[in-house]
Amino acid sequence: MSLRTAPSPVARVVTDPSRRIRSRRRLRNADLMVVLCWSSVAMAVALYLAYGGPAQVTDLASGLSALGIVTGLVGTDLILVMLVLAARLPMIDRIVGQDTAMAFHRRLGKPALYLILAHGLLLTVGYAMAAGSNVVAETVALFQGPDMALAYLGLGLLVTVVVTSVVAVRRRFPYEVWHAIHLLSYAAVLVALPHQLSAGGVLADGTVQRVYWIALYVLAFGSIALFRFIVPIVRSARHDIRVAMLEPIAPGVVSLHLTGHQLDRLQTQGGQYAIWRFWTGATWWHAHPISFSAVPTDRSARITVRSLGRGSDALGRVRPGTRVSIEGPYGIFTDAHRSTSRISVVAAGIGITPVRSLLEHAALRPGEATVLLRATDDSQSYLWNEIGALPGLRGNPIFSMVGARPHGLATWMSAEALARGVTITSVFPELLDSDLYVCGPQSWADLVIRDARAAGLPHSQIHVERFDW
Amino acid sequence: MRRRAIVLSILSSSAVLAAGWQLGVATQPQPVSQSLSQPTDAAAPATGTGGTTADGSTATPTPAAGTGTTAPSTAGASGTFTGTAAQTRFGAVQVQITVADGTITDVAALQLTDHDQKSVQISNRAAPVLRQEVLSAQSANVQNVSGATYTSDGYLTSLQSALDQAGL
Repeated sequence: MSLRTAPSPVARVVTDPSRRIRSRRRLRNADLMVVLCWSSVAMAVALYLAYGGPAQVTDLASGLSALGIVTGLVGTDLILVMLVLAARLPMIDRIVGQDTAMAFHRRLGKPALYLILAHGLLLTVGYAMAAGSNVVAETVALFQGPDMALAYLGLGLLVTVVVTSVVAVRRRFPYEVWHAIHLLSYAAVLVALPHQLSAGGVLADGTVQRVYWIALYVLAFGSIALFRFIVPIVRSARHDIRVAMLEPIAPGVVSLHLTGHQLDRLQTQGGQYAIWRFWTGATWWHAHPISFSAVPTDRSARITVRSLGRGSDALGRVRPGTRVSIEGPYGIFTDAHRSTSRISVVAAGIGITPVRSLLEHAALRPGEATVLLRATDDSQSYLWNEIGALPGLRGNPIFSMVGARPHGLATWMSAEALARGVTITSVFPELLDSDLYVCGPQSWADLVIRDARAAGLPHSQIHVERFDW
Repeated sequence: MRRRAIVLSILSSSAVLAAGWQLGVATQPQPVSQSLSQPTDAAAPATGTGGTTADGSTATPTPAAGTGTTAPSTAGASGTFTGTAAQTRFGAVQVQITVADGTITDVAALQLTDHDQKSVQISNRAAPVLRQEVLSAQSANVQNVSGATYTSDGYLTSLQSALDQAGL
């Protein structure tokens, strides 16, 4: 008896073969993306190696210059990777989700800047040493080179973009100002291109390296142009979305009913969000990421929003008939990303919105779902009545947990539930055989995930939608 | 899963780097051997615009530097004299002069600054100008071409060594 080891949590998962395969494929593709990303960095270095760069290193000066060239290549490659990650490629969104892609984008920001700064510094020092001049004279000489003024402009823009994105600095600006500055990064990368092609020997005319490099630029900027600008503009024009009605559902919470043409062709999945722009004088400059609180039909869609900032406050005052443009739908908080046959759902406060459309869309049989709705007090039970009325939840338990969290304790549960000895596994007895969907404030959701992980639930079965909106 | 991504990334990156290194090593002898023929190409427009019959002399580079094949003559020195290669940040510069009876009749660039695209452009622009100036001044005492300081310095340094050999 004692020799028999307990089965591992993963082995106990009730697998739904097709879901399991899809989930595996997604993980494989996610890994492939990581591999591609690092291979592109290696490729940047390989361009220099293939050019025969190392053979030119004979002394300290040429060594510094060589290092300067490599840092420039790698730094630029990273920036192009960042652009691709921020381009909202449908493929990337489907595989890892835009949130994860942007988290990676943010992590690359500083290393890329440091590499580009090192590029400028190392080359200046290396050239100055080789020429026997000083750094200042060399900078002046470099500045006068063709395309170099543009390159320095690009460097200045890049520093501005990254400095304004450092968390402490970013908080000082309204989001829109920060975002406008951030868009300068496109210009920074573009104006740096001429000097790469004309001053650099690695990317000289007629080389394969040059073709590859230009292809990278085309890929990055093509993705941005297509998926951040052309597709949203075409979609918004085609569907002609307008505000039909505002439905206040609680103090500070409002459902916006939208109408449009063939909205089902957006192929929105329950649990997804879109980035919305309301074309009124007070709101057009602010794009809001808001979850669908119902799966769109042919003619109508519904989103629900709580006022969390000045911008979303103004949304409660838009007039019916207001034109709305859409970017999206995005997100992997969907039933399609489920890897097991059961679903466990925890939603807190306004986090109910994606959960509402997720559960509406999911094909659920009795006994397959368990839902826990969480609120600090009764005023936060947004859309709870609708959850109970969903046909897919017939025969599936829906729990509610109302009450404030205890002071000084890191828990996602109410003080009352904690005192009763409730745990995540007592709410979801079959947690490990299910996919857990969590939506609520970030810090709260982190605590739910902590408990789920502690209970043995693997990462691949946890789905989170954070909302700061 | 993460481990798989890391392992595959390392493998793939290593393969890419190795391929790059191989290509670099494979093309390595070429730039060295080309360093004589390539600048000849670069110098071709120079001899072309000059209008002299120097095309033949540039097409037959004398590989070893410093050995002027002096033809015995009565008045002044005659023959071709190859200057030493002057190293600059953007590559070596080496010129060869053709002298007839103590007069420089042609200057051919065997090697010009060619480290990168920009250097090649600058070289191609500066070489004809320098050649013309040298031919009219009959010495290395000519102005630098603006925007081509390194090329000019190297050019005139190498030229001076060729002139010294010719005893001019």
